[in-house]
Amino acid sequence: MASKIINMADRIKDAEDRLLESIFVSTPIADDGFSDRVVRRIRRHIWIRRLTLPTAMFVGAAIASKPLMQLITVSASLLDVVLQEAITLPAIPLPQLPLILLGGALLVIAMLTVRMLEE
Amino acid sequence: MTNADGEDRYLVALAVSSQDTAAFGELIRRHQSQVRNFLRKLCGDMTMADDLAQDCFMHAWNKLQTYSGRGSFIGWLLKVAYTTFLQSNRRSKRYGEILDEVGHVAETSESNYTLPAEEVSDLDKLLAVLTEEERAIMILSYACGLSHREIGEATAQPVGTIKSVIHRGKEKIRTSFGIKDYQHG
Repeated sequence: MASKIINMADRIKDAEDRLLESIFVSTPIADDGFSDRVVRRIRRHIWIRRLTLPTAMFVGAAIASKPLMQLITVSASLLDVVLQEAITLPAIPLPQLPLILLGGALLVIAMLTVRMLEE
Repeated sequence: MTNADGEDRYLVALAVSSQDTAAFGELIRRHQSQVRNFLRKLCGDMTMADDLAQDCFMHAWNKLQTYSGRGSFIGWLLKVAYTTFLQSNRRSKRYGEILDEVGHVAETSESNYTLPAEEVSDLDKLLAVLTEEERAIMILSYACGLSHREIGEATAQPVGTIKSVIHRGKEKIRTSFGIKDYQHG
């Protein structure tokens, strides 16, 4: 009800308002290609945005290709060593394994407790 | 809700959901006249106003998903137009200050409403006595036909402030042009 009264009060116009409206009145502006210009600009922006990420990725890949190849070579040789050691691992069990497992379990319990407390 | 409002909302939904530039183009065609008229009256420079109108529609496209569909689309669009105008003003003021610091005389003053003498209309004379804020609110009210609530949303001000700014604007016009209170003779 109150909002209806406010809206009504908004719409009640006196002579002065009507005079001001007649002074402020403006003739419609013809489009004359304005909307087409804006749409073209928007489409251009969309294309630029679409091309930016792939272009950046391509440039980044080109820059990073040399160090990446070196990294792959090093990783491959490292993997060889790790695999060889992994094969011999069951023979030498980790002495710290029970401690690591206990630490992990404690961490999980602590996280669950914190989450429960938060809830 | 009018039929035109419903169509606007449908076009907005199309433009947002499928990035349909043709639907947005139709929205521009429907409202460009009002937006350009608002900006032309606000800055008093047709070329600048049309540039700002283009920027306004670009901003509107980027922020289209923020239009909730509660008020009219033109109300929302005029809010974007006013924000674009204020941003442009702030930018030119900043550049003006930088130019002042280096001792350069700026070609254009901040937002003075100045037009060549032969182009000055009654409305231009009237707008020239108002501040930038008063001008914007009076134009939104009397030229664009927005309600006080819609103007409040467009300018991010409470309805009470809008009413008092309009009252103050009218008072200034009366004083500047020697008009007695219109209602009371």
